[in-house]
Amino acid sequence: MEAYINSLSCISHHPTFNDDFFFKETSVLPSSNFLFVTPPVYRDYIPATMIRRASHILKMGLSAGLMCLKQEGEEKTDAIIIGTAMGCYEDTDKFLRSLNENAERMLTPTSFIQSTHNTVAGQLALLVKCHGYNFTYVHQNLSFEYALLDALLLLKEGEAKSVLVGGVDELIPPLCELFERAGHIKKTVHLAEPIWQSKTKGYVAGEGAVFFKLGAKSASSIAKIRGVRPIQKISDTNELSIYVDEFLNNCGLTKHDLSVVLSGINGDTEKDKNLNEYISDINLPVAYFKHLCGEYFTASAFALWFAAQILKKQEVPTCAVREDRSVKNIRHILIVTHHNDRQYSLICVSQC
Amino acid sequence: MSSRVHITGMGIISAIGATVEEAFTSLTECKTGIDKIKHLKTIHKDVFVCGEVKHSNEDLNTIAGTKGANRTTALGLIAVKEALSNAGIKNIKEARTGFISSTTVAGMCHSELVYSDFFQNKTNENFIDSHFSGVSTNEIAAEMGIEDYVTTISTACSSAANAVMLGARLIKNNILDRVVVGGVDALSKFTLNGFNTLMILDSEWCKPFDENRKGLNLGEGAAYLVLESEEQVRKFNKKSLAILSGYGNSNDAFHQTASSEEGYGASLAMRKALQVAGIPAAQIDYINAHGTGTPNNDSSEGKAMQTVFGNKVPKFSSTKAYTGHTLAAAAAIEAVISVLSLQNKIIFPCLNRSAQMKDLSIAPISTLEKNVSLYHVMSNSFGFGGNCSALIFSKNQDGSIH
Amino acid sequence: MEVQEIIKTLKSQIVEQLNLEEIKPEDIDADAPLFGTGLGLDSIDALELIVLLEKNYHVKIEDAKESKAIFASVKTMADYIVAHSK
Repeated sequence: MEAYINSLSCISHHPTFNDDFFFKETSVLPSSNFLFVTPPVYRDYIPATMIRRASHILKMGLSAGLMCLKQEGEEKTDAIIIGTAMGCYEDTDKFLRSLNENAERMLTPTSFIQSTHNTVAGQLALLVKCHGYNFTYVHQNLSFEYALLDALLLLKEGEAKSVLVGGVDELIPPLCELFERAGHIKKTVHLAEPIWQSKTKGYVAGEGAVFFKLGAKSASSIAKIRGVRPIQKISDTNELSIYVDEFLNNCGLTKHDLSVVLSGINGDTEKDKNLNEYISDINLPVAYFKHLCGEYFTASAFALWFAAQILKKQEVPTCAVREDRSVKNIRHILIVTHHNDRQYSLICVSQC
Repeated sequence: MSSRVHITGMGIISAIGATVEEAFTSLTECKTGIDKIKHLKTIHKDVFVCGEVKHSNEDLNTIAGTKGANRTTALGLIAVKEALSNAGIKNIKEARTGFISSTTVAGMCHSELVYSDFFQNKTNENFIDSHFSGVSTNEIAAEMGIEDYVTTISTACSSAANAVMLGARLIKNNILDRVVVGGVDALSKFTLNGFNTLMILDSEWCKPFDENRKGLNLGEGAAYLVLESEEQVRKFNKKSLAILSGYGNSNDAFHQTASSEEGYGASLAMRKALQVAGIPAAQIDYINAHGTGTPNNDSSEGKAMQTVFGNKVPKFSSTKAYTGHTLAAAAAIEAVISVLSLQNKIIFPCLNRSAQMKDLSIAPISTLEKNVSLYHVMSNSFGFGGNCSALIFSKNQDGSIH
Repeated sequence: MEVQEIIKTLKSQIVEQLNLEEIKPEDIDADAPLFGTGLGLDSIDALELIVLLEKNYHVKIEDAKESKAIFASVKTMADYIVAHSK
């Protein structure tokens, strides 16, 4: 199943909402172990009546979604599908704290109403008056992949001519503490190594809102998604290799057709072991992305945006590679990513 | 695309029983599961009535065969196990098998108990790892050995309907041979208090489609269906309980929580489901309505039914006065009830309902009806965020039901 | 409390509770409609105001349907508070 990316938008740690930005002077080292987004001016996108209530993820998600739709001239789409593993955590946290602090008394509704995971998808539909297919996937780090798969299926079935697909997850201070105390976050003293050289545990956390408008090929098409493969688990590198070969075959390609492999290691040396081992064996130009956006459940959406931009601009930013192999004629990119060495995913994206 | 999608197994646990059989008994005896709150620890214990599952967490773990699982996971596992057993599936790996679950608040039933302590007393260091939505799905999938396609959906109160329709699409497009689909939600202080802030809870037994209705009663539970392809059913000579013949998903795009007055999104979803089923509206014999008992929903849904079916609205009822509103699980629980209706030619009534709604010309069935000719049954589910879904269940073409 | 005093306090509380960032309390007309036109508040705001009244004035509105009339304007809110305060 395949489709074309006809427009895209990205709000992430770097000013990626700006089309001219492409990591020209970006360091290979993340500035912190928590990479919060650099936002656009939200007021430029979201009506005042909505913005006053909007939580962090809503502001990111609505702006990125509208930005993506605006690129094609009109704010219309046949369907909206979102992937978000944590949903509207800021509002969830607000309501939970209030629940405890006020012992279940005199609670206010706004944060409860907006805590449901489908709020971004619902509010986007409201804003652009889209009565079509509307879905939200909430499956850990495969949330975006399943949203993407559904979009491809919907287009294949002819149920929609255009689908707005997004991957959104937020990082707010309570989550920083939650992840840190759960032992997931890389200590700041260990940030001096690029992630591909990391010998320490933990990852740099991030957040983002990335959207794509998918459909048939058009004059404004940026890239072609050839396939998506969520993988529930792998036992070892060999099994990953088999999955990749089979996946590429289904995409009508072999490893030799690939121009770049975009690796989703996050710098946790233990958890990255299998993926690093696989990458070291394939003998292809490799680029990395999680030091740019941070690790979060829907970071694969950022990866897809990054890959599409690489294809469009025909360049791989130097901050994304270990060694500059000056890859030319970039035609096909394979994204291989994971979270916690459990759920893996493969996405293949090509020039139009 | 391959042909029909069959339902070959079901599993359910809710306020009206821990199995399909128990649920059926309660339904035919018109026994509601809505009662005083016994297990959930809340200051509202004596204020609201809920459709609580009549087992403690310890009991549920025993039934599920687990230890220390949170309520959500335990409920989900119980229903999934029943569904797979009901479908006669012993070897998961013999076919391409998926698991699509859904939930609104996932591990909240546990998280809310430890949240303050985490921040104030620095305890429960990694509870966050069991909080998120996909966690219980993965735990259940791992327990059952399902790996080919495992995902979680969250579209508020329409969640499980979307899980069902996604499963059907995956089978029709030859991506899977069979798939376990449904949803689970456990009662929590979070949802009880949340709905209370919206002032849409009834402190007494709810009255769906009654003029004097005041709001909903929350419930909890889990239900799953096993969907299999026609080829799979023929190959393994499976019993087919019903056909999932139609489905529709749309968005009301009106308001974050309220439905539009005329129920535009709802009517769109119902129409889409009819279109997929390839049948005219007149062939629907019964609708299991969303019917939460809130002033807004029942009015909006009633009008939507009148729009879609004109002056020939089929017999309909809401079964939420039996189970309460089980949020993500609702559509799956009501799918099981719809299939039971089809199998047994029974329409389960809209309990506790007497006064005609002034803004509708239609009235639900409010007493048990047996020996009803049922070929096509529609089930509606609508949620926050404007998410509207409708499913259609049909008898096999040759009329045989096992 | 005097109605005028309540009106003044209410204006600040409304701006804060509903996060009306661009609006100064003193700019709110006490007699202007709060919902639909005027400030353009909606049903979710009505629920927030119900909590505001209970929290700050110990005045409880049991039926959400009553709120339309009570919240017609800041003045009608203040009158309701005075009438129902213990």
